[in-house]
Amino acid sequence: MNPGPQIVFYLFGKDYLPITDTLMVGWLTVVIILILAKYLTSKMSIRPNGKQNVAEFIVELIHGQIEPMLPNEGWRFLPFIATIFIYIGFSNLISLIPGLASPTGDLNTTLGLALTVFLVVQYEGMREYGVWGYIKSFAEPVIFLLPINVIGELAKPISHSFRLFGNVVGGGIIITLVYQAAPALIPVPLHAWFGFFVGLIQALIFGMIAIAYISVAKS
Amino acid sequence: MVQFSPEVIDTIIRAAALLGAGFAMIAGIGPGVGQGYAAGKAVESVARDPEARGNIITTMLLGQAVAESTGIYSLVIAIVLIFTI
Repeated sequence: MNPGPQIVFYLFGKDYLPITDTLMVGWLTVVIILILAKYLTSKMSIRPNGKQNVAEFIVELIHGQIEPMLPNEGWRFLPFIATIFIYIGFSNLISLIPGLASPTGDLNTTLGLALTVFLVVQYEGMREYGVWGYIKSFAEPVIFLLPINVIGELAKPISHSFRLFGNVVGGGIIITLVYQAAPALIPVPLHAWFGFFVGLIQALIFGMIAIAYISVAKS
Repeated sequence: MVQFSPEVIDTIIRAAALLGAGFAMIAGIGPGVGQGYAAGKAVESVARDPEARGNIITTMLLGQAVAESTGIYSLVIAIVLIFTI
């Protein structure tokens, strides 16, 4: 029992470009999302039918989360936030398939997503106040607070990524322990809890905290 | 002066790391209390104003997620102590 990415094979000979299970399951997730998105949005019409209703429900749900915190900019941030939300949601759900490890159970995935959010937050702050104005906002209200503000800003992606990583890995470790004690039937409700409920809630929370960081940088 | 063999020292380090992992998870008390407090306040708010249920639940989840950070840090530290030493 060893959490973290397992190396499946090496792409170029020995010790070059290791391909981990995280990477493979991550790309599988992307392919599943692509196929599903293509299927849900094919043959769209003004009067939505069954599958188009599902797609519109997801888009409206995410847009409804962005709009209150970033007024009038819901549609502008929707592609970014929805990408994060849907990718993390499917990554967490894919661990319900036996033998597949969730890509979000690897700090590389979550840190990558958190650093993307970090870059977007910096860009939005500079777009709102200008480059110099944004840098100057770290030295407010007094100049002595500059190091504390900078450290606080740099700690954001760390806590952001550890939160998702810790939740997914913690759930995975508990499920593995229960499997060793009772291999049948008893772990099923745990899968429902950690896979469905915690997985979807964590995807929502990751997206919402990204929105909160952006709205803090803009205000 | 007692000389320990390398195996004994290794065992002592492993035991200390496992003990440390257990102690690190004491930090789980804080997020438990914090999240319970947030949930209790949310229940009070819903009882007072059932119309705003959706907004209250969203705000509660966001606050609980932030309150969870310290517990997650301790969990990560405990995992590192257990699996790398």
